[in-house]
Amino acid sequence: MTWRPGSCAVVGIGATDFSKDSGRSPLTLAAQAAHAALADAGLTAADVDGIVRCDMDTIYPAALAEALGVPDLGYWGDAGPGGSGPAAMVGQAVAAIEAGLATTVVVFRALNGRSGLRYGKGAATDVRAGGEASYEDLYLPYGMQTAGQFFALLAQDHMNRYGKTQEGLAEIALACREHANANPAAQFHDRTMTEESYYASRMLSTPLRLFDYCLESDGAAAVVVTSAERAADLRQKPAYVASVAQAAGPEPQPGLMFPMLTRTEMLTTPAVDCARRLFGRAGLTAADVDVAQIYDCFTITVLLQLEDYGFCGRGEGGEFAAAGHLRLSGDLPINTSGGHMSEAYIHGMNHVVEGVRQVRGTSTAQVPGAQVSLVTSAPPPGASALLLTAEAS
Amino acid sequence: MTERVLPVLDDPETAGFWAAAAEHRLVVRACAACGKEHHLPRAFCADCGTVSDHWVDVPPRGRLVSWTTVQHQVHPGYPTPYTVLLVELEDRPGMRMVGQLPGQPVTPLTAGQPVEAWFEHVDDTVLPQWRPTEGEWSS
Ligand SMILES: [Zn+2]
Repeated sequence: MTWRPGSCAVVGIGATDFSKDSGRSPLTLAAQAAHAALADAGLTAADVDGIVRCDMDTIYPAALAEALGVPDLGYWGDAGPGGSGPAAMVGQAVAAIEAGLATTVVVFRALNGRSGLRYGKGAATDVRAGGEASYEDLYLPYGMQTAGQFFALLAQDHMNRYGKTQEGLAEIALACREHANANPAAQFHDRTMTEESYYASRMLSTPLRLFDYCLESDGAAAVVVTSAERAADLRQKPAYVASVAQAAGPEPQPGLMFPMLTRTEMLTTPAVDCARRLFGRAGLTAADVDVAQIYDCFTITVLLQLEDYGFCGRGEGGEFAAAGHLRLSGDLPINTSGGHMSEAYIHGMNHVVEGVRQVRGTSTAQVPGAQVSLVTSAPPPGASALLLTAEAS
Repeated sequence: MTERVLPVLDDPETAGFWAAAAEHRLVVRACAACGKEHHLPRAFCADCGTVSDHWVDVPPRGRLVSWTTVQHQVHPGYPTPYTVLLVELEDRPGMRMVGQLPGQPVTPLTAGQPVEAWFEHVDDTVLPQWRPTEGEWSS
């Protein structure tokens, strides 16, 4: 069997409000987002026969099925790990539909990432670190406890080797914020950022400042995936899945994060291998991409992916970003809802929702006539990505 | 002082690393059959399929690859500022470890500058640590 570009489409999108304290359980958030996605598609829970979740989600598919009132769930699965999962989650829905295991699949991510389980909070104080192939014993005792501290080492390495890294990081933060300012649903909708305020923001872990970090958020996002045939009869303009890919790279890593520091070339992420597979399946190239939602837990994560997906050469990410390409007026507008930096951190799932809006033409920072919409879900430890298109193939 | 995070000492993959550190030796895993060195430590050798528990001493010297000075307090046992050093072992490309020093460099750090290992005792555990061989430091 070979990949069939455009065999399936995203036909519904939904999200909750994004906040610092939702006051609701992740189950309620998941149900709200999934319900909204189904309503958007003109479907009901009775049409759903599959659910795919992130492997770090606390909500199991059957729990969401019960909350939504799905009467006959016939397929479920999960993908990840963590933030490298959302595009792969859509891919799993497509695979299930193409294999005849499901017809209509809800893909969701729900978390109280600020008021509940915070990923930026660091290690517990009462247990020893490591074991179970996590290798965290080699890092956590040394004060390496958060993703920000890990990405700071990558950013410093990039600065050591290449030019304009800092200027690029600033521009990535500024572009995301500018796009959030157009999006009423973004947490930072009303807060503008200037170059001055970026550089004035508190240094957290050199060389990364507060505004190089994403927002910890509460919320959920969901999409509905079905076959292209069925999509043609539904309410919304389909966003066809031209391609989806995953990659762990030639040096797969254990653990979630820190072991990436032992990759021979630690600034070349598995997104390189994901990109090759992604563009190959679609018969497209980086030059065909009209708009991109690039996973942005930190500004440096975006900068590295600009190089990995081939939008610029190795080491040129800083220069490319600083040149202004990432704004709405540029060649590669990114994170048009504000992304994790300025909309909300829904662990890559809000990027999928926004990638669909661009194909529909309904973004609050719309790229006119966008045909090819890239969505990435970032390393470490793996990478996945989606190419959504306005035409079936 | 609030307690530091300490490593598990009984993980089958990494126990030998910590046991050697307790004797002030810096070691990496190597396959007993083919000699291939594995860091991160792994008992299973992908090169030849052998499972062994063999460790070799390595010189306590390396080069600085990257660093970060943490200024935002996250863990109560790690008062800020402190600096994490990512080092590569001498003559072992890609074989990297981290170390941590309280405070921050006064002399700017540079990629490739020499670093040396030292051994820090914390409760019942000894951590191999790293520091630059030259330059001023403030704590
Ligand atoms: Zn061997």
